[in-house]
Amino acid sequence: MTRKQLLVAAAPVAAAVPLGRYAVGAAAGVERHAAHLRAGASMGHAAMIGDAVPAPGGPNDLDALLYPPPALPYEPGRVREYTLVAEDRDVEVAAGVTFPAWTYNGTVPGPVVRATEDDLLRVHFVNAGSHPHTIHFHGIHPAKMDGVFEIVPPGERFTYEFPARPYGMQLYHCHATPLKKHIHKGLYGAFLIDPKEPRKPARELVMVMNGFDTDGDGTNNFYTVNGKVFYYAKYPIEVRRSETVRIYLANLTEFDLVNSFHLHGEFFRYYPTGSTDRFEYTDTVMQCQGERGIIEIDFHNTGLFMFHAHQSEFAELGWMGFFDVTD
Amino acid sequence: MGADAVAAGREGSVRWRLWALVPVVLLVGAVSLFVGTGSSVTGLIRENPPEADAFDVRRVTFEPGTIEVAVTNPQQGDLTIATVTVDDAIVPFTLDGPQTLGRLRSSTIVVPYDWVNGEPIVVGVTSSTGIETAHEIPAAVETPGVSARSVLGYGLIGFFVGVVPVAFGLLWLPSLRRSAPQWLAAFMALTAGLLTFLAIEALGEALERQAALPSAIGGAGLVVLGVAASYLALTVLSQQLGTREGGGAAPLGGLSLATLVAIGIGLHNFGEGLAIGSSFALGELTLGAFFVVGFMIHNVTEGLGIAAPAAEQSRSVSLRRLAALTLVAGAPAILGTWVGGFVLNDLLGVLFFAAAAGAALQVVTEVGRFVARKAPGGLTSPYALGGFLAGLAVMYATGLLI
Repeated sequence: MTRKQLLVAAAPVAAAVPLGRYAVGAAAGVERHAAHLRAGASMGHAAMIGDAVPAPGGPNDLDALLYPPPALPYEPGRVREYTLVAEDRDVEVAAGVTFPAWTYNGTVPGPVVRATEDDLLRVHFVNAGSHPHTIHFHGIHPAKMDGVFEIVPPGERFTYEFPARPYGMQLYHCHATPLKKHIHKGLYGAFLIDPKEPRKPARELVMVMNGFDTDGDGTNNFYTVNGKVFYYAKYPIEVRRSETVRIYLANLTEFDLVNSFHLHGEFFRYYPTGSTDRFEYTDTVMQCQGERGIIEIDFHNTGLFMFHAHQSEFAELGWMGFFDVTD
Repeated sequence: MGADAVAAGREGSVRWRLWALVPVVLLVGAVSLFVGTGSSVTGLIRENPPEADAFDVRRVTFEPGTIEVAVTNPQQGDLTIATVTVDDAIVPFTLDGPQTLGRLRSSTIVVPYDWVNGEPIVVGVTSSTGIETAHEIPAAVETPGVSARSVLGYGLIGFFVGVVPVAFGLLWLPSLRRSAPQWLAAFMALTAGLLTFLAIEALGEALERQAALPSAIGGAGLVVLGVAASYLALTVLSQQLGTREGGGAAPLGGLSLATLVAIGIGLHNFGEGLAIGSSFALGELTLGAFFVVGFMIHNVTEGLGIAAPAAEQSRSVSLRRLAALTLVAGAPAILGTWVGGFVLNDLLGVLFFAAAAGAALQVVTEVGRFVARKAPGGLTSPYALGGFLAGLAVMYATGLLI
């Protein structure tokens, strides 16, 4: 089959897209969505979306990492407890490729830890891995809760306890040495601290940008958000035009100095670290290793909008996805 | 030894023949015992390190809108093709063959890809364990398929590189025939020099290709096998030619020796064609006019090498005989380009070059015997020594043209 024939074959499918707009009801929406994906798949070279994408995992596999637990309104004296277990786990990072990771609770990145400012955070850390580990939280806390001096040997435990401060998009990671190894193996995650004055309602998402050096040569073979190559290209994130989309974005890529987030067809407000009201209006942000911030998008249009690292290499090695914006 | 002792020996022989099976039975037992214990014996020393999980990329072919990558698993354990990249970008692919490859099993990865003509490209195959095997192609050019055009094209290249220069070289025959015996000896020695050079060259090529093979099927032993097989085959052939000549133990001369030289050179030209064909097919070679001209000049000396022993014969040589010699020495280049261009297999490549080396060495021996017995002054005459060195030098100098 020539490429021309392929395009001809795709034409009826592509034509179905605008037609679908006129149909009413949820069923029509699903049909329209599927038509998008089929059109993309049959274009071969051009589009990497839907089933044409070599991505691991099934639908909803990453929901726990993408959708954070809800923000709680401020309440004086509240204690927030989490349990993080460090364990060695083989995780599938690209289609058919497993990575012998060190994880918090079995996933890379680890679970989203969320608290409201001044909640007392109590994190029970159990080291079920084969190497000594810690948890080092970003934020304001006592020196002895910093995850640097109290190295936790395999089989032992430690409880971190401190008030969550300041509000913003923070993060946590292991700080045992060699640091580079402990981070690139997967011991990191997002740490959200909500302001006492709640943020305005939004569709909230967490994206942790990372890389995987699967062959141990000191350079990344794959790049992802939330741990699976092209996951959101295979399963676009569904959002609505009427709601603000708020992304808690962090860069935990090892080896490469910077990573970035670029959104197609739209601009957004970017709050560096999310700890002040200061923002920038842009469509591309760059983050150094360990840098993070909050993105707020008000979509003007419906349809499929791509997002990816603007380092083309990272994008083509897995860090690319889509928003499917509907009314 | 008396007759009784011989008889006694024969009586016992059945028992002792059966005894010969004992080491075999013991070996089978020991091997199954060792295999049966798994890794517990080596485990006494330490745990085995994980395997390299690297693929052997055998061939990368380019068609418009498509790249095909043939890979083989060179290691003991299974190897699974998980992800494929082109120029550091993950690409969708289909497989012609299994996804998980057992030892020495192969598969072809088909990637729809809009590659850029003439630009370098890197194809990466990542195993399920995350190990990436990267293979760089210096310049992507469309791989010729088997068509009348390409068959003719390769055939013509083989013809110009093999047949034409040998035929030209043979035209020196009348002049050689009229030269003084010591000069003829010098040219015979020159032939030996040429062939020595070709033998070393082929041996180097065989060893180089052998080193690139997966270690499971490679090994210098393969080269030794190829060299020995062709050397011995030609030794038998030269003896038969000698018997037919009625010379018995006398060294081969004249047309028989010329035939042997032609066979040796033919095997070499087959290898040369093979190298040209495969390099061109894989886009590793720019096959310009200069390259073909270089080969022609280089190979004219091969015609001279065949003419020298033929000149020694007192009878005149018929044109048909000369044409036959030309084809024996030159036509394999045509065959070689076809095989190299369309069906080359790495293992066969090693064997062909090893065979070429063995054949050339055998012919050197044959020519040496002839010069030693028949030439004035023997092997150590200044003509023989000078001719031999001149042969090496000529091949070296004309080789620079390629």
